[in-house]
Amino acid sequence: MASVRSGHQPGARSSPASDPGTRRQAPGGRAGTAGRGGVGRRTSGGLGLYIMAGVLISAVFVVPLLWEMFRSLQPESTVSNPPSAATFGHLTFANYRTLLSGQDDIIRNVMNSLIVAVLTAALTAAVSTMAGYGFGLFRFRGSGLVFGLVLLAFMIPFQAVLTPLFLELHFMHLLNSLIGLALFYTTFNLPVGVYVMRNSFLQVPREIVDAARVDGASVTRTLLSVLRPLVLPGIATSALYAFLFSWTEFLGALSFMTNDSLFTLPVALSNVETGTYGAINYGLLLAGAVIAMIPCIVVYVALQRYYVRGLVSGALKG
Amino acid sequence: MAATEAPGAAPAAVRRPRWLRRRSAADRRNARVGLAFTFPALLLVGAFALFPLGFGVYISLTNWPLVGPYHFIGLSNYSSLIHDSVFLQSILFTLKYTAIVTIPIFVVGYALAVFVRSNRRGTTVFRTLIFLPYIVGLVAESYMAVVELQPSSGTANFVLSKLGIVSDTTAWTVRTGLATTAICILVVWFASGLTMMLLMAGMQSIPTELYESARVDGASWWSAERRITMPLLRRSIALSLIISVVGSFLAFNQFFIITDGGPGTSTESVVMSIFQTAFADTDVGLASAMSVVLIIVVGLITFVQFHYLQGDVD
Repeated sequence: MASVRSGHQPGARSSPASDPGTRRQAPGGRAGTAGRGGVGRRTSGGLGLYIMAGVLISAVFVVPLLWEMFRSLQPESTVSNPPSAATFGHLTFANYRTLLSGQDDIIRNVMNSLIVAVLTAALTAAVSTMAGYGFGLFRFRGSGLVFGLVLLAFMIPFQAVLTPLFLELHFMHLLNSLIGLALFYTTFNLPVGVYVMRNSFLQVPREIVDAARVDGASVTRTLLSVLRPLVLPGIATSALYAFLFSWTEFLGALSFMTNDSLFTLPVALSNVETGTYGAINYGLLLAGAVIAMIPCIVVYVALQRYYVRGLVSGALKG
Repeated sequence: MAATEAPGAAPAAVRRPRWLRRRSAADRRNARVGLAFTFPALLLVGAFALFPLGFGVYISLTNWPLVGPYHFIGLSNYSSLIHDSVFLQSILFTLKYTAIVTIPIFVVGYALAVFVRSNRRGTTVFRTLIFLPYIVGLVAESYMAVVELQPSSGTANFVLSKLGIVSDTTAWTVRTGLATTAICILVVWFASGLTMMLLMAGMQSIPTELYESARVDGASWWSAERRITMPLLRRSIALSLIISVVGSFLAFNQFFIITDGGPGTSTESVVMSIFQTAFADTDVGLASAMSVVLIIVVGLITFVQFHYLQGDVD
């Protein structure tokens, strides 16, 4: 504890007693009143200390990422040689130009990653929404069992079924197939997606479903026109999880793709790392890693409330 | 709307909508519809998770090579695992690695959660920034670590040698202890944001009235934390520990990318060992037996932690 305690010390010291009072309810939280707005009573010195501590702590997590973005702009000769003040500030897009135009054909790998991630997100959203609708609003014999089976996939680490899955995909002609990879990713994102979507449909007021039926809407029509806008946040949550999972996944793509032109970006970078295409070039590796990291940051910062929503529902009810 | 609906949510799930209750013929039709909507999910999970699980157990009883015919060999794969020093070493190494990173991830994550759980100015931004390493993913960060851990040219040696901690020619990735240290630091940095988010969600769901009355009773900040927060946080603590322990035990990316299991096989994790056996040695039968062992170990870890941490809540 001691090693990191200094992190929250300033905030805690400023007014320890009112700390719980300012605690906010969880975004999806049920009962309870909002915090009492203790900020107003806080001395400006306390808030200043808190923000200073926060900036320092955040820097520990963000500066290394920013530093690598900076380093990726240094030419290969600077990256691979002992640091010297003379060359340090000389920045260029050379690494990116080489990576994106050279024989490595990284653009193709970026496209592969993008296709698989978008396909995985769309499939996960569609299949989870349908399943959530079925589990949430229809009672049928064995529904508990089916739900349990879907959640069971959460208990099976995909790392442990990799070899049988390799043979199975081989028999199904889905090895070296972006669609096969997306189906595999979708499957292991379904537990989260189905769980989130079932809860979304359970929260829809019954009167709305009844009214749609009285007005003569079919089961499918009710889902597509009446309920879709109500469960849209849940759909965003499942799609976002699936996208980020797929974009950053390595082991499955490494196992199921043996054809260079079908590699996703993380796997293609392992070729850059080992110098498959010639001499090892660390400048290229850094540029590639930065290309891999940018979409995650953009997508997360834009849609983070949906991500946190999923975490919270899992953490509080799971 | 949502507020008035919430208290009745539990019974409402049992009470069917009127159009589901009307006739038994309609009941049957709706049951079919419900099953039809859940079918794609069941199909995918059955095909790509449950079937491979059973298929893996079957393969583990054969001498299945990647290509060519196979025979049943009973439990021979399992008995040869007992003497497989590389596999046993990978289990020991992975357990050791898991033991090393779990406590720092939890302690750092808990402290961060305490720091960002209030709604003071700036907390939302801090949360986002601290969580970024987890979002970016360990693969991209491992590649960056490879570059920065290079002797003489890497940033790690540059900074640490200026501080007088190591020499600037330290070769991190070719020595077991140094490589493990570097990877553990990377992983704690990467994963503590997730623990922070999970614990923060739990902390925010604790009713503020409890802290009000503790304050009236004159409880200190630390005793409120120990007597109120920690006991009520048991579920979140259990969840975050299970996620982090299972995640560590299934580690692959960072070892494959940064050390490739080396020097020798001294930093080979269990999943790496399975990967090598299946795809480099093409001994699919043996790899499947290893996978079955892995599933059992992970299942046991989850069960023990869940049981221990949830057991005496009430």
